[in-house]
Amino acid sequence: MTTATLLEPRKRSDLLRTVGFVALPLVILVWSFIDLTLGRELVEWIPYLASGFAMNIVISLSAMALGTMVGAIFGILELAPYRLVRYPVVAYVQIFRNAPHLVLIFATTYIFPFEIVIFGNYLPFPDWVKAVIGLAIPASAYVAEITRGAILSIATAQWEAAKGLGFSRGQAMRWIILPQCLRRSLPPWMNVAASITMGTALASLVGVHELLHAATDASTAVRRLDFTIIAYLVVMAAFFMLCYPIARLTRRLERRFNAA
Amino acid sequence: MQDMNLTDLFVSLTDKVGLNYQFLATGYEAQIWRDGFVTTLYLVVLLIPVSLIFGLLFAACLTSGRLWLSAPVRAFVEITRNTPTLVQLMFSFLVLNTFVSNLVGGAQNNPLTPFFWVVAVVGLHIAALHAEAIRAGIEAVPASTVEAARGIGFNQLQILRYVEVPLAFRASLPAIVNNLINLVKLTTVGNAIAVSEITYASIMVWTQRDNVVELMIVILAFFSLINLIVARVGLWVERKLAVPGYGL
Amino acid sequence: MFSSTVAKTVFGLALSISALAATQASADATLDRIKGRGTLTVGVILSGAPFGYIDPKTQAQKGFNLDIAQALADDLGVKLETVAVTPPNRVQFLQQGKVDILIANMQYTEDRAKILDYVPTPYDRSGGAAVVRKDSGLKDWADLKGKPVCVSQGSNYTQPLMEEYGAVVKALPSQPESLLALQGGNCVAAVHVGATVGLLLQDRVEEWKDYAIPFPTELIPSDSVIWLRKGEKDTQTALDAGVKKLHTSGKLLEFAKANRLLNTEYLQQANKTLSASK
Repeated sequence: MTTATLLEPRKRSDLLRTVGFVALPLVILVWSFIDLTLGRELVEWIPYLASGFAMNIVISLSAMALGTMVGAIFGILELAPYRLVRYPVVAYVQIFRNAPHLVLIFATTYIFPFEIVIFGNYLPFPDWVKAVIGLAIPASAYVAEITRGAILSIATAQWEAAKGLGFSRGQAMRWIILPQCLRRSLPPWMNVAASITMGTALASLVGVHELLHAATDASTAVRRLDFTIIAYLVVMAAFFMLCYPIARLTRRLERRFNAA
Repeated sequence: MQDMNLTDLFVSLTDKVGLNYQFLATGYEAQIWRDGFVTTLYLVVLLIPVSLIFGLLFAACLTSGRLWLSAPVRAFVEITRNTPTLVQLMFSFLVLNTFVSNLVGGAQNNPLTPFFWVVAVVGLHIAALHAEAIRAGIEAVPASTVEAARGIGFNQLQILRYVEVPLAFRASLPAIVNNLINLVKLTTVGNAIAVSEITYASIMVWTQRDNVVELMIVILAFFSLINLIVARVGLWVERKLAVPGYGL
Repeated sequence: MFSSTVAKTVFGLALSISALAATQASADATLDRIKGRGTLTVGVILSGAPFGYIDPKTQAQKGFNLDIAQALADDLGVKLETVAVTPPNRVQFLQQGKVDILIANMQYTEDRAKILDYVPTPYDRSGGAAVVRKDSGLKDWADLKGKPVCVSQGSNYTQPLMEEYGAVVKALPSQPESLLALQGGNCVAAVHVGATVGLLLQDRVEEWKDYAIPFPTELIPSDSVIWLRKGEKDTQTALDAGVKKLHTSGKLLEFAKANRLLNTEYLQQANKTLSASK
């Protein structure tokens, strides 16, 4: 299997992938036009479904932001020279990297209070925020591992070389080590982002108004089997349109970094 | 009967520290919960080989160079990787299952259970991830090694069987172990379609009582333990299979 | 290896206990809070007409439970806020304080009364009905022995179906999924609150033409009551007065008719007896 024979099908499958990208929405469109009563029902529910999907995006962005911040810190702490610091962090990462997302969402939803009292003020603590925390916990555990791996992968020789060139420790971190860490951790980080984004659908099981929940609501109200099917197709298509570009970009970055 | 005494002891001990495990002393809730552990373990033990077999199959299709084989598998891999497993599961269970029922002439003839759908959806999802890992491993086999195999007279199939797959498998083992850990975690989606695994069993208990925290502690410990074992076994296999001098 | 597992367990324990401690802080003076905030937060279930559903046209929540919630809020002189709950999360939402009360197709059972309080005057009476295929040959509850039966997670029919009739219960996240599972052949019967499935069969004749509700009796017919957290006597008293008023004024019957409840016998009777005792 030489490179030449490998390249040819890859080009063709690239074309196929693009076809796949438009195929799902196309099926939905064509079906809606064939059966106009179904199409009309769907159009009526699109705003409701869209509001659900907006929630998925909000949850995944917030969870990734929170998870990345906490995870980056924990990743550095995992390498701390003090056992008292290192052990709890390692335990946190081990438990929550291995815990099912669904279980963590159940846990945060049902264990956390619905509002927090701060200086006598009641601050509401809505469900979707709990889902954010439920997903930020595993995200932070993954990001901690990625950060730790990235830091360890930079050879100590580089530190010494930087020192030799007259960089201070801070400068070496800022200009030499961190850029390499970032580059190395970007593809796995994006994999985590994709997995967390898909995890947002789990929030439907605890009653957060997101896309899958909205689709169930809609099919309960319409009570038509064909509508139920098309509603699920819409859900799949929406997630695919969101996650597929991320996956493609990740693979492209991986390939480029591996080549470099 | 010693089992009973141990249960009672555990219930009263945990009760003293403020944890409510009283359901263990009841009939059907304790039964559901114990069955939950067994079902989860059973799912894991069944799914690991299923996912590996289909993963190899998919990888073979992807690298076959024949479009009619690789294109449908590629399409499936992309869809399953980029849509939530829960949605796939609901879709399969509620939609595909109804199609199957109509096909075999009525729901009463449909042999497919929720358990089957969890195995199918989770198994094939993880298989797709395995396939990607193995494909990457095959592509990472050095061209010179393949040339050498061809030089000593191996045909294409023999190269795949004796050179590429064994080396690719070793190279992709860390990724595969990682996928298996995901597999263990994914079995929990089964609760959405009433497969009586441990989260489902716990929901059945905590909706009638109010002891989410107690059940969560056990679930988290349980999954940590399973995944610890999976990771250890993976590491052991990796060491066992390591080829001296083949630095992958 | 062993010690690290222990460390993990201990850590998880500590984390969960601290979270538990945080939950215990919720206030018990619910009535004061309702009045103070000017809103009554009600957990309602949207599993379909007649009790609660989303109107396809306006996408607003409607149904018998919603009407009762609105009337009770009006009675207390506060605004109504609703939170959609599902059978698996409703008790937790109430316990956490996310909702003040539950009007969510929940009948009185002894087990529930152990962890929650309820408004003594019921707003309806209902039991479980089993939807089965017409050609299944099932005639009564006892025929379900050893057969798969779909319910909602957290349904109060789980226990009697398992313990009394020996059915293999499959609990799905909500009623729509359970009914779809029935259509897909994953269970021989779906057991839900009688009025909802009755109305469904009546409204969607075409889709449900192969199905019926053949059993002569309802499963554990019991009082549908409003549930609240343990020990909230003031709220209980206030709401009880509200529900009684709804009975005597005939409002509940009106709601029932407007929402097409199939069986209003209980409400008519309650209307008479409560009016007479006045």
